[in-house]
Amino acid sequence: MSDFWPWLPVITLVQTFLIWQRVLAYLRYFQQEGYEHLRFLRWANIRSLTDPAFWLSIISAFLFLWAPTTALVLFVSGAVILGLGQPDPRHSGKVLLKLTWRATRVLAVSMVFAVSAWIIVTNLYRDTGLRAPLISAAVVFAVLPLVLIAANAALMPYEGAVQRGYEAEAVARVKAVHPFIVGITGSYGKSSTKAMLAHILQFDGPTLAASGSINTLMGITRHIREELVFGHRYMIVEMGAFKTGSIRRLCQLTPPSAGLVTAVGDMHLERFGSLDEIVRAKSELAQAVPPGGWLVANADSPGALQIANAATHCRVLLYGETSAGELATRLENISFSKQGTTFVLRTKDRAYECFTPLLGRPIILNLAGAFTLANALGVDPDIAVAAMRTLKPVSNRLEVVEERGVIWIRDAYNSNQVGFRAALEVVGAMPVARRFLATPGVIELGPMQFDVNRALSREASLVCDSTLIVADTNREAFIAGHREEGREARLVMVANRAEAFRWLRETVKDGDAIILENDLPDLYEHSAGVFWKAGAAS
Amino acid sequence: MSRRTIAVLFGGRSLEHDVSVVSGLQILNAVDPELFSPMPVYIDQAMRWWIGDDIWHTEAFKSGGPDRSRLIEVTLSAGFGTSTLSPVGALPAAIGTSSAVPVDAFIPVLHGTFGEDGCVQGLLELGGCAFVGCGVAASAIGMSKRLTKVVAAQAGVPIVPWVSCERSVLDRGSAWLTALPAQVGSALGWPVIVKPCNLGSSAGVSTAASPSELTAAVLRVFEYDVEALIEPFITNRLELNVAVAGLDDAVASVTEMPVTARSSILSFSEKYKRQGRKSIGSSEGMAGALRVLDPDDLPAEMRAQAQTYATTVFKALGCEGISRIDFLINVDTNQLFFNEINTLPGSLAFYLWSAAPHYWTITELLTRLIDRAERLRAMKRGLQRKPPPELRLLS
Repeated sequence: MSDFWPWLPVITLVQTFLIWQRVLAYLRYFQQEGYEHLRFLRWANIRSLTDPAFWLSIISAFLFLWAPTTALVLFVSGAVILGLGQPDPRHSGKVLLKLTWRATRVLAVSMVFAVSAWIIVTNLYRDTGLRAPLISAAVVFAVLPLVLIAANAALMPYEGAVQRGYEAEAVARVKAVHPFIVGITGSYGKSSTKAMLAHILQFDGPTLAASGSINTLMGITRHIREELVFGHRYMIVEMGAFKTGSIRRLCQLTPPSAGLVTAVGDMHLERFGSLDEIVRAKSELAQAVPPGGWLVANADSPGALQIANAATHCRVLLYGETSAGELATRLENISFSKQGTTFVLRTKDRAYECFTPLLGRPIILNLAGAFTLANALGVDPDIAVAAMRTLKPVSNRLEVVEERGVIWIRDAYNSNQVGFRAALEVVGAMPVARRFLATPGVIELGPMQFDVNRALSREASLVCDSTLIVADTNREAFIAGHREEGREARLVMVANRAEAFRWLRETVKDGDAIILENDLPDLYEHSAGVFWKAGAAS
Repeated sequence: MSRRTIAVLFGGRSLEHDVSVVSGLQILNAVDPELFSPMPVYIDQAMRWWIGDDIWHTEAFKSGGPDRSRLIEVTLSAGFGTSTLSPVGALPAAIGTSSAVPVDAFIPVLHGTFGEDGCVQGLLELGGCAFVGCGVAASAIGMSKRLTKVVAAQAGVPIVPWVSCERSVLDRGSAWLTALPAQVGSALGWPVIVKPCNLGSSAGVSTAASPSELTAAVLRVFEYDVEALIEPFITNRLELNVAVAGLDDAVASVTEMPVTARSSILSFSEKYKRQGRKSIGSSEGMAGALRVLDPDDLPAEMRAQAQTYATTVFKALGCEGISRIDFLINVDTNQLFFNEINTLPGSLAFYLWSAAPHYWTITELLTRLIDRAERLRAMKRGLQRKPPPELRLLS
């Protein structure tokens, strides 16, 4: 047996390499799940047991009983091939692994844990000679997701201390600069409302608003530390609620002088449990608005209206389109074209004829909300209306791009049914030859997920000539929806977005329109290559 | 003779940061290595200056910029005439590369705000450094499209009329929303083109054919600049560019006509990215746009006129180095108008020099410009700096 020992350094080398690769692969999804253990576990499930590296170790360990040398050669060469064959999550895939400081820390500690675990387990089986590292490899690959969780847990006290230090710094900065803070919350449209309000307010005074959808304590803290400077008159903060209490926390960091509630609905229902719980979580913003401060709310959304009605301590302004009540701003006469939307905003004194290059009914309704709040803050309404003409569509949010005669309506970042319907409405209003839709459906709706997707499928079947349902997450619901309308022939099933694009490129002609609706994160697209390059697997 | 150290400055905090990096690296690689020892100096968006081996290639600038931990932060040493880049927070000399680097001449390849507008030039003047390109006054005036027009008109060069609108109107209510279109309608007519007064790139530029489009276009400018410049939009127009090099005399290059300009304005992406390619790294700054050098159908007298006007504007502003002067041709009336000057054009407009009849490579041209910059510095240093007796109040 002892002549085999020169093998040990070689095995250690390739095993460490393969562990490194796999830790990187898992880290991408751990990062996407915000380092939340339960969410990551739900994704990981028994995935590690489908890892070819796990099976390679098992097979080599068995083979070792009969042909030790062959087993070792198989393991070493297999590990090298698997390691090199794995796509680098930093450079390939839809959501890349960003090696932030935190990710680097988790990576480093995970490596230490994984390699130590491998050495310890190898030691336990040391009487089996060189079979021990192979058995140990199988164990390590099987529990690797747990190793990442353990590494993250071990880092918790440190991460917490770092985060608290940053937070204290951010709070001090906010106190010193003392901007007028507008908090925006809602289930949908927070980011777009923030961008639109910032666009209008910038002509009244220096305005800070994070681009994209930074809406967590950590994200906002970082944004304040990096961007908030003396001279900023307004700061607009998007406040996301992951659970009851999270907005209250955010309001301690950035105490709002005014609040805006867009639409409160069933998004993230899975996380909250009930609609009442969502309303309660979002109403924390209204409670944080100081007495006599402005609270602007969407009267068309029963949840938002409920929050507004409960906020008796502040001055409430309502906006809407369909609400029968008295409104500060009423949205009327919407019409869509390829260029944008024309509409009327009616206030108590006047009707403003408006145009904006943006599209989609909920977006225009949010624009009415931004307009209402800007008016309340003393911005000249005519300047606000002029500014609407220069709004730029946010990338992949009902963004219309014309490419060689084909209209692409990119709405990949939308992920809720309201936005979904808005995209269908916009494409339905456009004079085009044929309409196509590519979507994986909407997710995170708990028990309602099937019914919501079935309803969306029915509506899509009425508007679109073909609907491509991507991946299998909502496939059954889409089949059911199309079947109910007797339009099953209009449904095309594809495994992943690459396949959807291939199909579209072969099918569309001049004058057609395509909606790309809700791009699922990598986590939900099962065919995405975690361990192996996606193309090779399918 | 030992090779002279030439520091090429690029990056900066203007909108054209990326363009500057591409141009700067081109220039860096074009400096004659037999005569000079070129050194890249990257100025990041926070205006911190960095040197190091990593910043010779565009790859280092992708995804978040170069790894600062592998670079050395430097600053221009205080004290007139030292012309030295010293490490910030002076590390102990034992670490090696941490000693100060004397620089013989600087080549600023910074576009737009804080780089092309006289700010960096002022810093170099304060240090008594030799540098290629326009000085403070020419840079500052050249940055303002309005001031340049005033100087060009004074020198007898035809210009397009304009109306300007300062951002401070926003502080005075909404009356301007009706007053400005009325003024523009009577002074210029429609359609008009609206530009930021002080930006080099085509960011924020748009056309307007109605009062509501005009106010929107002016607000679009106010996202970027404190002053909007409004000119009549010549619908049937061509653009014509000429570069001028300040050697012993101002020399005009051949003309070029950006062909995409025929119907619409040259957009930022058309200007700086080669068509069909996404990566700016593969682009060659202004050299990437489609153009025709010395177009055949351009009348000889108009070409000569453009070259004369170009050198006239160059001299009137007191420019140095290489500037690119852009003209507009109204095709209907066959009139030539001065449009704007770029005192630090992308890639130093080298493609206009490597064309006949001058046939200078950018390397030859840079050598001449560096020599001239050093002579100019020597000349300035030779000026009488001792105060005459009547100004010596304290001795």
